Amino acid sequence: MKHLEDKITQASNLESLEKIRVELFGKKGALAAEFAKLKDIPGPEKKAFAEGLNKSKAALQAVFDKQYEILKAKEIEAMLKSEEIDVSLYGNVAQKGALHPVMETMDKIIDYFVAMNFAVESGPMVEDDFHNFEALNLPKYHPARDMQDTFYFNDGGLLRTHTSPVQIRTMLQSKPPIRMIAPGSVFRRDYDLTHTPMFHQVEGLVVDEEGKVSFANLKSILTDFLHHMFGDVEVRFRPSFFPFTEPSAEVDISCIFCKGDGCRVCSHTGWLEVLGCGIVDPNVFKSVGYEGVSGYAFGLGVERFAMLIHQIPDLRSLFEGDIRLLEQFR
Amino acid sequence: MIVTRGWLSEFIDLEDISDEKLYETFNSIGLEVDSIKRVDIPSKVVVGKIISCQKHPDADKLNVCQIDVGSGTRQIVCGAANVVDAEFVAVAMIGATLPADFEIKFATLRGVDSEGMVCASSEIGLPSMGKGIMILDDSIGELEVGKELRQYDKINDTIIELELTANRGDCLSIHGVARDLSVAFNKELKHIEYKDIATEKLGIARVADLRIKGEIDANLCYKLAITEDFKSQILIDLRLAMVGVELDGILANILNYSTHATGVILRAYDAKSILGDSDKMLLQVYSEEKGIVSISSNDNILSIVGVNQNDAVVAGDSSTMLLLESSYIDPDILVEAISQTDMQKDDFYYKTSRGSESDLASGMSYLSNLLSVDDSYRYYEGHLSVESKWEPTHISVDSKEISLLIGQEIERNKIITILKNLQFGMKGREDNKFTVTVPRFRHDIKNIQDITEEIVRIIGINNIDAKRLSFVESNRLTDTTNRYLFKKSLRNRAVSAGLYENVSYLFSHRDTLLKYGFDVVDEKLDLANPIAEDLNTLRTTLLPNLLDAAKRNVNYNEKSIGLFEIGAMFDSQREQREVLSVLFSGQNATESVLNSGKPKMIDFGSFVQKLGSIIGEFSLVKCTQSNGLIHPYQSADIIYRGQKCGYLSKLHPVVQEEYGIEDTFIAQIDMDSLLPIHIDVTPISKFQGVYKDLSVVVDSSLPYSEVDKEISSLELEILKRWYPVDIYSDESLGEKQSLTIRFYIQSMHKTLQDEDIEETISAIMDRLEQSCQATLR
Repeated sequence: MKHLEDKITQASNLESLEKIRVELFGKKGALAAEFAKLKDIPGPEKKAFAEGLNKSKAALQAVFDKQYEILKAKEIEAMLKSEEIDVSLYGNVAQKGALHPVMETMDKIIDYFVAMNFAVESGPMVEDDFHNFEALNLPKYHPARDMQDTFYFNDGGLLRTHTSPVQIRTMLQSKPPIRMIAPGSVFRRDYDLTHTPMFHQVEGLVVDEEGKVSFANLKSILTDFLHHMFGDVEVRFRPSFFPFTEPSAEVDISCIFCKGDGCRVCSHTGWLEVLGCGIVDPNVFKSVGYEGVSGYAFGLGVERFAMLIHQIPDLRSLFEGDIRLLEQFR
Repeated sequence: MIVTRGWLSEFIDLEDISDEKLYETFNSIGLEVDSIKRVDIPSKVVVGKIISCQKHPDADKLNVCQIDVGSGTRQIVCGAANVVDAEFVAVAMIGATLPADFEIKFATLRGVDSEGMVCASSEIGLPSMGKGIMILDDSIGELEVGKELRQYDKINDTIIELELTANRGDCLSIHGVARDLSVAFNKELKHIEYKDIATEKLGIARVADLRIKGEIDANLCYKLAITEDFKSQILIDLRLAMVGVELDGILANILNYSTHATGVILRAYDAKSILGDSDKMLLQVYSEEKGIVSISSNDNILSIVGVNQNDAVVAGDSSTMLLLESSYIDPDILVEAISQTDMQKDDFYYKTSRGSESDLASGMSYLSNLLSVDDSYRYYEGHLSVESKWEPTHISVDSKEISLLIGQEIERNKIITILKNLQFGMKGREDNKFTVTVPRFRHDIKNIQDITEEIVRIIGINNIDAKRLSFVESNRLTDTTNRYLFKKSLRNRAVSAGLYENVSYLFSHRDTLLKYGFDVVDEKLDLANPIAEDLNTLRTTLLPNLLDAAKRNVNYNEKSIGLFEIGAMFDSQREQREVLSVLFSGQNATESVLNSGKPKMIDFGSFVQKLGSIIGEFSLVKCTQSNGLIHPYQSADIIYRGQKCGYLSKLHPVVQEEYGIEDTFIAQIDMDSLLPIHIDVTPISKFQGVYKDLSVVVDSSLPYSEVDKEISSLELEILKRWYPVDIYSDESLGEKQSLTIRFYIQSMHKTLQDEDIEETISAIMDRLEQSCQATLR
């Protein structure tokens, strides 16, 4: 018996183990030969012989199974090893593009306001004087029109200079309460280091009954929004002037580059201007036929947000489809 | 608007106010500070008195001066021509360090010793005042020889640039800014004492007469003065330079200075050139159009109020008889009138169009005070003036309403105090309601919200507590919101397909569009004032913009360029629609071990795959679109949910060469047709299905879409789907090719028998034989 067990445990691969299996357990194998002797054994001893034989067979089988498992594991391991590759060669094979940083920033802005139960609204890019200026309390010859160098069409139409006309269209089409944002491209006839003829704005408008919407509410949501966008920054409101809001304010955040100490980006003031806002001017409500309402509005430039958040140095580079810039956002 | 601390101090006491406090206060009351700069004249720059000045023996352009600098006399060589006229000058002593680390040392110039330097303003940290050295006078304070110039507060000043909003014309003067500060600091403005000016025995009426024709909208005041000459004052020139006003003649500088200080529009006429040979002038004031007020004499227009002045009668430094004019015109009326004309406007128009100061007497007094440096300056008795009718604006105010707008209780008394300080009039102060009268210099204030803005800026927005707004909850997922959310997912799929998002201008070059056979916006509807020739029209396709971007990337050495853009484009009638445009140029994959660094160029199939992973399943038929970018034999209409939604094409090789790019594919797809639709699920069969291939020989010119159409028209219930899997041609097939189609056959009701399958296949074969002249391979 012992020598048979040794034979099994000495098998070095599955192939030789199989050979041994045939030699031992096969029809013409060693065990079969032993069992064949059974017929020559006299009655009374037969039982004991058979029992002994069965025991030996079971023991051999157990040794065999164990050896089989060991060799099988070895073989799998060898096969796996043979499939080994240098994974570090494959770091660059995936091909993925990227969202444009301005659009991705706009997404982040929209996400916030949608989560705050604002509706997204839109309007045409080719506008008329009424929706872009007149209804927004910018009558003809208003000096504030100088601030917005406008593209005009031969038939008197114009390219919207801000997303504010969407406010007017939305108010004309629906009734208060209103809670909306209008993201989109806007156009001004200007081109230099900090101006491009097209850029993106997000406009916000909230209208409810008279006496309900206040400057304090505006302060609350914009402070929260700016924390969403820029993290832990200080927020400062400064009185300003826009024809369509009164009172109006510009909103600054503490400089995210120098933490308010003063650097080149914030012109050594420690503050970065990021938003304009205010309480909707009664003349705007008048132009859309609203009475007994109150509201706030705000507007921001998406490029400015994207440039600050990602430290993009040149505005114009955002409109060139430059993959060297875009691939950094993969 | 630029102000200086020293100049402001003429009008308001700022002694206990630091520069930092000034900066903070300006910002908090809505006068945004663009920059704040402290002039810092270096030490050891002192007042020097020139005792003598002689030509340098060996250099024509140099002078050798003996200068008393308090501690003794120094010999200093000076190259400036105007030193010969100077008495008091700024002397940088040996050891002084001027800006840009310029250290003054003992020097010998062409053999003559020089102990110091006579300075120009720009050499000691002051703004440049033109050629030559700075000649001092006591306008900056009493001159003491040897005293350091940095001790003179009037010039060692702080320069503050304010960015004024368009409504604040009242702050376009030093006085106006001081007036706003006086409210913020709760300090009264200083009372300015002017010196008495000698008068001639003659009255102004003896020389000039004013005649008004009809209604006019301007206020005018005239005075007549005689003088022998004008004296320049260093303080005037320096301050003008500090606030960015270009220096001119002495009289012009004084006029500009007075206007910048008081906000009153001040002009001077050479009275003698108006008089000519006569001894009396008749000034006629009339208005042919509302808002355009002309002043003329002898049919000669002298000026248009608030707009310009006739050069021929402008007084200069040689004038001896001056007709001084102060004027005011309502800016709203003026701006509207001017916009209808192409009248030439001078520098004052910026002020008059935003609202100049209407207190004409204040301007005239300030001006005369500066002109009358000695007894030779005398007035003619009296003045000539005209005033337009003006009704002040009254606004009824409810302090509760103001509190509601602000969102915080503001006490009634506080509101009243602020408004009074801002020089608003008050009437009927019972309860919360009262009526305020708006001062004339605040023509921008028209309603209660304007008043609220005044309250907000004076109490400071940062003193208002933020409060959450409670609002009616509602489903605000509008169509636009959903469209935006869909576009966002589409953009993310495009990114996963290896494309970069592009953003380009809404503009295009009309010539480029025409060259490639695109529609262009009708000329009658096109841009009137484009910003540049190559952006002179609205785009009617996004593809040239993507091609431009591809070209730029090739220049940057990119080899695989995948771009997409979702954006607006227009048709010839300028109707806007939104499209998804895709471009892929160059290598189909990144260079890697997978392709031994030599990836294949993008091809039709790979491009279709990319498109499919963005928009989902579609089919292609022969392209019906035609433009110069399209390759006539590798282009297709995209059929999406049974409708044509756009096209894709290989870029025409000629265009490819023009742009200098590698193999390129383009697509343009209408966004509207991609929007998600409602989907109902078809039940899935429980029975085993079977794949079956069929190879047929058809004409090489027959597009697969025709074969597809025929199979589809059979409407076989158990034929679930089919698709081409192979195309084969060889010489034996001649003009024909072998097409292998794979069919998936499955029944909803039973396991298919061989005869069911054969029946289906033979039905297909029959149809293809009949309609497509197909034969079995």
